[in-house]
Amino acid sequence: MMRGRRVRWAALAWGLLLLSPAPGVRSSLLWSDPLSGSEAVATEPLAIVVNRSNPVDDLSSLELRHVFLGSRSYWSNGRRITLVMREPGDQERIAVLRDICSMNEEQFKNHFLHGLYTGEILVSPKILSSPLGVRKFIFNVPGAIGYLRLGDVDDSVKVVRIDELLPNDKRYRLRVQISTDE
Amino acid sequence: MNNVKKASKNVVSQLPPQGMAVLDRLLNCASRHSSKILLVAVCCGIAVIGVLVVRDLQSTSEEVQRLFRESIGGMQRAGALQYDAQETRRAILYALTTADSNLQLVYADQTRAADHRVSNSIEDYARQANTQDEIVLAAQLRQDWTAYLAVRDEVLASILEGSIHDAVTRDLAGGVPAFERVRKDLDEVKRLYAEEAERSARNLERTSRSSARRLAGILSFTFLLLSAGVWAIQRSQMLGRMQFAKLQMEFVASVSHELRTPLAVIRSAADNLADGIVQTGEALRRYGLVLRHQSRRMTELVDQILTFASTEDGVEPLPLQSIAIDQIVRAVLSHTESAERESGFRIEVRVDQGLPRALGNLNGITQVLTNLIVNAIKYGGDDRLITLHASATENPREGLDEILIAVTDRGMGIDTAEIHHVFEPFYRSPRVKNAQIHGTGLGLSVARRIAESMGGRISVSSQIARGSTFTLHLKTATEAASQLSAIDAPPARLMST
Repeated sequence: MMRGRRVRWAALAWGLLLLSPAPGVRSSLLWSDPLSGSEAVATEPLAIVVNRSNPVDDLSSLELRHVFLGSRSYWSNGRRITLVMREPGDQERIAVLRDICSMNEEQFKNHFLHGLYTGEILVSPKILSSPLGVRKFIFNVPGAIGYLRLGDVDDSVKVVRIDELLPNDKRYRLRVQISTDE
Repeated sequence: MNNVKKASKNVVSQLPPQGMAVLDRLLNCASRHSSKILLVAVCCGIAVIGVLVVRDLQSTSEEVQRLFRESIGGMQRAGALQYDAQETRRAILYALTTADSNLQLVYADQTRAADHRVSNSIEDYARQANTQDEIVLAAQLRQDWTAYLAVRDEVLASILEGSIHDAVTRDLAGGVPAFERVRKDLDEVKRLYAEEAERSARNLERTSRSSARRLAGILSFTFLLLSAGVWAIQRSQMLGRMQFAKLQMEFVASVSHELRTPLAVIRSAADNLADGIVQTGEALRRYGLVLRHQSRRMTELVDQILTFASTEDGVEPLPLQSIAIDQIVRAVLSHTESAERESGFRIEVRVDQGLPRALGNLNGITQVLTNLIVNAIKYGGDDRLITLHASATENPREGLDEILIAVTDRGMGIDTAEIHHVFEPFYRSPRVKNAQIHGTGLGLSVARRIAESMGGRISVSSQIARGSTFTLHLKTATEAASQLSAIDAPPARLMST
């Protein structure tokens, strides 16, 4: 009882700290289609990566949404799921919130704040500042899941199929805009 | 005379006993050729010993370096292994102290880098393990370290997940005991290295003692070799001097005998003349001939000794002339006429046609050839025939024509073993001495020195019981003149007679 109350207060404090003005969100589509959009922007695939020891190879869009929103807390092997996110404002994070969670930053934070407070969500996402950090975290934590631009993926992590599609497939729809400064 | 004989005997009696005969023969031989041979042999021996010493020192140095690498290096490796193992654990404990995931990842990197170094060091240790204890320990260490890393990974995952309570629980339950086992293994590694170092130190001490013994042995041997070498050189020189003294004694004895015989004849003849025993003209003429012959014999002997004495410290080069061969032959025959007549020998002269003129000194050439003919008369056989043959040939060594004047007898000949000694001063062959042939042993020595002073030489060939040929080699006047001109030598000595 006492532990549940502490978790809720912690989640509340985390939510207040990370609360920021919510950017606009296109919530009508789970997957954006760069070919059909009116804006001609350069994009690259965003890979969903897990620890190499994780038995999961394939996730559906719905399962992925549940994982990223904290609705699903354990993998099939019993390992607790640890979600790894980049810092707010990051292109990859924006793409994930838009295409997987169908939320903007504010909605996402409120969702976790509420979930942690009510006990529906066990742990908040881990915030890491760089792709290298994401890679290392997932390498060290067997239950971790995160996302990386395809160019940042290496052998230390495992890429998960989404709806049976790998990031290299043409129909793979989880993509991130290439920053102009890259 | 008796005193001289006694002195000679004393010298002989000082020669070494029978037990040293073989060694002395060798030393005598070395002394005859050169004591430098002995010196070179000693130097070679010392050089070989020096090489042995250097190799021994190098071997010892390599052994010391090996021991250092194995023991001290092993202790250093054990220390580094222990430090890295602690570093692996330290980074994990630091990760527990922060909630910042980025910082936790830095500590995760540190612990993984340290465990990578530990794993490599364990593999190195396993590869280098020699003894059964080391092999077993390496396997145990590898197993315990792997077990600890499994717990460490779980603890690290819990920390990164943010489950600090889980991390601490796991570490206390599995990490601490696993690391304690690793620590004990590492202590065991250090203990084995310490034992190895102790063994190495004992081996080093043993090696040092052995090396010192070897060095002492080698130095002792060197000292003995040096002493033996010095002794051998001194002994060979002493034997040489004794031999020379013996020859001189024999020479004095021989000269005394040669002088006393004519003196006795002269004194006897003088007594007879003084006492009026000889009165008739014919007897007086015969006595006169005897006195002349004996006095001439004494004069020749004294002249020979004086000539040898004057050439003892080297002969001044004689003034050279261009001389016709006929002139040489005439002068020699004139000098040896009386000896030839008195001995009943006949000298057969053969001069090849068209011989060039010889380069030499007429007096010198005459003296050399006279000595050779007198020797031929002395040692000639019953045929009482001596051949004097003048010819020319090309000197193979210098590529020049040279005049050869050979004196051949048909006498007893010279033994092959003695033929190289006949030109040594005072040397007289045992066969000659046994045959009661008197002489000083100086004739050939003097002849060779005079020949060399004219730029020539004397060669000899002989066969036992068949006779000997002594040949005087002289340069031809033409060849010598062109050679002198070519080297721009002063032509003052080349005089035409």
